[in-house]
Amino acid sequence: MKKYIYLILVAIALAACHKGEDIQPTYYDCQFNFTDSSGWNTHNTLYQSLIDDMTANGVVGVTMSVYQPNTGLWVGASGKADLHNDVDMKPCNISRVGSTVKMFTATTVLKLMEEGKLDLDDKISSYLEGDVIDKIENADQATIRQLLQHSSGIYNYIQNLQFQTASLNDFIKEWQPEELLEYAYNKKAYFEPGEDVRYSNTGYIMLGMLIEKIEGKPFYQVFEEKIFQALGLNMTRFAAKDHIPFGIARGYIDMYSNLQVVESTYYSGWDYFTADGGLISNPYDMNIFFRALMSGQIIQPSTLEMMLTWQTPDETDPNFFPISYGLGIFKIETPQGIAYMHSGDAIGYYANMMFFPDDSTTVVYAVNSNYGKIDQFVSTKEAMEKVIAATKQ
Amino acid sequence: MYRILFILFIFPLTLFGQENSIPISVSFFNESTAIPFTRFFTAPVHPGIQIGTAFVYSEKEHSRLFQTVNASYFYHNYLAQGIALHSEFGYEYRHSSGLAPSALLGLGYMHTFATTEEFTFKNGRYEKKTDRGNSRLFPSISFDIGYYLKRDDVRSPKIFIRYQSWAEYPYSPGFIPVMTHINLHLGLQFSI
Repeated sequence: MKKYIYLILVAIALAACHKGEDIQPTYYDCQFNFTDSSGWNTHNTLYQSLIDDMTANGVVGVTMSVYQPNTGLWVGASGKADLHNDVDMKPCNISRVGSTVKMFTATTVLKLMEEGKLDLDDKISSYLEGDVIDKIENADQATIRQLLQHSSGIYNYIQNLQFQTASLNDFIKEWQPEELLEYAYNKKAYFEPGEDVRYSNTGYIMLGMLIEKIEGKPFYQVFEEKIFQALGLNMTRFAAKDHIPFGIARGYIDMYSNLQVVESTYYSGWDYFTADGGLISNPYDMNIFFRALMSGQIIQPSTLEMMLTWQTPDETDPNFFPISYGLGIFKIETPQGIAYMHSGDAIGYYANMMFFPDDSTTVVYAVNSNYGKIDQFVSTKEAMEKVIAATKQ
Repeated sequence: MYRILFILFIFPLTLFGQENSIPISVSFFNESTAIPFTRFFTAPVHPGIQIGTAFVYSEKEHSRLFQTVNASYFYHNYLAQGIALHSEFGYEYRHSSGLAPSALLGLGYMHTFATTEEFTFKNGRYEKKTDRGNSRLFPSISFDIGYYLKRDDVRSPKIFIRYQSWAEYPYSPGFIPVMTHINLHLGLQFSI
């Protein structure tokens, strides 16, 4: 009897189950526009075993780039880009890199400052109006600098449980900026502007709106013109134009913390149109960007100095490295020294980029799976320590 | 565990003999993940159906105390589908106008399955496996407003709208401990 009940349950489950999308392996073909010498890199085995270890623990796929002045650039991959079609991940494969876009947003705002189009100490309310200012506490007082540094105190809409459940309720919804901001309306600010620092996606949505207001075009078009094209980041784009670009690695989520994953490639519609997420790239392009930024190729050294002006939160997180907030960038104190970094999540994706100023070691890794048990292998302090220990000599 | 099952599902059966007829309740509902009492109707619609019966513990002119036993199924696109056995203790006030508000407190068992292809990590790699589903505890609290079509008939059919808030536990240990949902039911209760 028990067996029959079980068979009926399984039959119902199977009958109502979406099958995976059949995709030709050539869909994931990609290539770099440089001569890849990773195979001859002194640390090739070490780096490869680092990412192989991630996939051996349950991460679906990983791409990574490591730059060191002495050994040059290494790129590698491990695991799968697509489980349904059994396609291996390649080092050039693109994936969603979520909030790492905030460093691009901040860089663009700083470039606008260099062009004399804004002052960092201008209030955001000098540029934006309506509900975004009237209904978000502190928005009338916060400056552009405070939004960049997460010191505005403005409530982070992602923390709103109503948003989180609404997002689950409609996984494939494509959210517009105003719909997301509504989850921050009439919410108490964390503190007075400038008093402390606390991460807020809401502030970065507003910064995207600021870029659009000043430039009169979508902020992601400004990213393209001022950063992507300028640096030749051929594999980098923003999700707004093409939500699921050709060749993107499939994303997977471990929703129930049991290493049983389902595909989530189409589930990140909340960051298609806002400057707090939505970037699609690969670790090669991101490594190029981070090094160019830190070497003064995108913004002037004096502007970079502003970007790297730090504020430390009043409360420390015992589960993470000691951290300070810059303008769209963080400084962490690791056992191997100071690193500048930004990480980012999307649904089924995670990426992290780190730059060590003492020797310019630059490490970027991206994975196409997250949540549940997978997070401990990619985004925790322990996971990052493992990456840093293997890559920072 | 068996004691709980007895109270929820077996004990009510002993009350069958007290009834001249058996009330049957059929409702169609829209399920959503949401914080209880913050949303009413949500889109997109995630359809569900519930069939149940009720056993009366005490009945007065305008009120009754009862227990329901229900079987239900919902399909939440891209997230999960669930099949459940569920019982509720309820109180109904029946106004002479035919309107009848109720409150119900429930507990049940739910088995959920993925609605998309699932891959299981085994021996260092992911494999396609038959989804055996996940076991959940299914507590709920509901409020409904019903209308008895024949005001003077105690066995009258009743149409009702029910706002049911419920939780799925455990959901994702160490990640999301509990998931809350709401179901908005439109149903009919009749006797056979």
